[in-house]
Amino acid sequence: MFSAQLKNELWKLFGKKRTYIGFGAFLLAQTAMLLAFKYTRWQSDFEKLLAGNGYLATEFISVLTVSLVMLIPQIMLLMPLYATLVGGDLVAKEAEDGTLRMILSRPISRLRLLFVKWSAGIIFAIVLVVALGLTALGFASLLFPWRGMFVFSPGQAFSVFSAHEGLLRFGFSHLFLAVNASVMVSLAFMFSCFNMKPAAATILALSVLFVSMVMENIPFFDRYENWFITHHFKCWLLIFRDPAPWTQICQSEIVLFAVSATAFVIGAMAFQVRDIKS
Amino acid sequence: MIQLAHVSKKFAGRMAVDDLSFTVARGEIFGLLGHNGAGKSTAIGMMLGQVWPTGGTVQICGHDVQANRSAALRPVGAIFEAPVFYDYLSAWRNLEILSAYTAPTSKARLREVIDWVGLTGREQSKVRTYSHGMRSRLALAQALLPKPELLILDEPSDGLDPEGIHEMRLTILRLQRELGLTILLSSHLLNEVEQLCTRIAVLQQGKKVFEGNVADVRTARGKVALKTADFGRATRLLLERGLITATVEERFITLADGRTTAEVTQTLVAAGLPVAGIWQHEQTVEDFYLNLIKPPPAKN
Repeated sequence: MFSAQLKNELWKLFGKKRTYIGFGAFLLAQTAMLLAFKYTRWQSDFEKLLAGNGYLATEFISVLTVSLVMLIPQIMLLMPLYATLVGGDLVAKEAEDGTLRMILSRPISRLRLLFVKWSAGIIFAIVLVVALGLTALGFASLLFPWRGMFVFSPGQAFSVFSAHEGLLRFGFSHLFLAVNASVMVSLAFMFSCFNMKPAAATILALSVLFVSMVMENIPFFDRYENWFITHHFKCWLLIFRDPAPWTQICQSEIVLFAVSATAFVIGAMAFQVRDIKS
Repeated sequence: MIQLAHVSKKFAGRMAVDDLSFTVARGEIFGLLGHNGAGKSTAIGMMLGQVWPTGGTVQICGHDVQANRSAALRPVGAIFEAPVFYDYLSAWRNLEILSAYTAPTSKARLREVIDWVGLTGREQSKVRTYSHGMRSRLALAQALLPKPELLILDEPSDGLDPEGIHEMRLTILRLQRELGLTILLSSHLLNEVEQLCTRIAVLQQGKKVFEGNVADVRTARGKVALKTADFGRATRLLLERGLITATVEERFITLADGRTTAEVTQTLVAAGLPVAGIWQHEQTVEDFYLNLIKPPPAKN
């Protein structure tokens, strides 16, 4: 029965146009960034950076390098927006539309209903990240060759890899990105379980992420960085360090899983005691 | 089938439902009457486990809704006012989605229900293309999917045109006749309630102010129609003699306790006021309801 309920929840989620706003925005942003990289000074500046560090630009201006360059700003700016948009809709939109009342006239427990919805949200997060990675690779491969990978992310990673190893790490980084997106969905889902509009749930989740990011960047809070969600989000870039700091990555992943689970539990508790009225 | 015992619900300091008790027996059509905000939807919300009561218990088929919601709601179908669906999906998909929250439902059952409500041929159309009447039929279809024994209808005719209201009324009667369902109907359409229900409860400001049979309401002691040449003089005399307590619309009188129409006639004839007609006025549920909820006269 759970699989049938999850399948139907996915039908609901992927049946509405709103869900695809994120995918559409990513496609547009990727196209724009790819063209900007190719036809502005961005590429020549990047080549200078490579040359300045003793690497041949022709070896490393590749599909993988450009894909990652395209991904970083999108993951910083667009992914939180679209993940929280969908997460905020999961419960609050149904309550607002009135369909939640119809569902809850059925003999399904509130906890089970929430678990189905949350699972659908997590699947959306994974699909969003996979689509993001694949389209980045697809677009970049139209204009750039398959060669080695050069990663430069100030404070996080500076490395070069062969095409094979670069692709492997690119794949791994998306696994961690999917966890990040899941946390974003879970936070918005948690607020969505309270009695509020879907937009309010999205804005609150974004606010939590924004406050976390701002505080993390205030020098006073350096020693408390492990308390900030956004600090742990960065672990997806740590995979590009050589060697990868697996202990640190695992610690961050555990924290993120815990945040996600906590958000679910808080949301479920709020939803359990809530009165559902028209 | 449904048993509410001393149920109450408080929202932010305001009593939405106050010490409500009633029982709905198997096979009957029970009407829940009251103006907007009287507490009907809140009471239904508590029956469906959507609203947590502040006090009291709600049982459906012997199962406590709060303690054992799944068992209590298994034999229940419900329709709410202004039925809403996933408009961007087909009617068929909507039914599949909603049935998945109850129990596995076969395609044959889906087809059977769609056929029953008369939506065959339109089941693959997106719900956004449906008229209000079709949505109501789809709402009925989703309620019938789990083969319910009890149907809870919260303002099912809300927003329907007169033809749609008539169709809904016939459907409700058909549901009881053909499927033997017990039906709880919440409505403020008094005419609809009168034509459908066997028993009613009237709510006012969250409190039950009446519970009884519709047949009893019709024949309950109420107004008496009086036809005489000088209604004003006649009623003044009757009031002086303590035979009546009030007059209504220059046509009706309300007899004082223990008084009969024969006494009224004798008194008027003796006073030289010929009586052209006097009879007990059979009141409608509307008359009864309006009398029941009208505010008491202001005291000077």
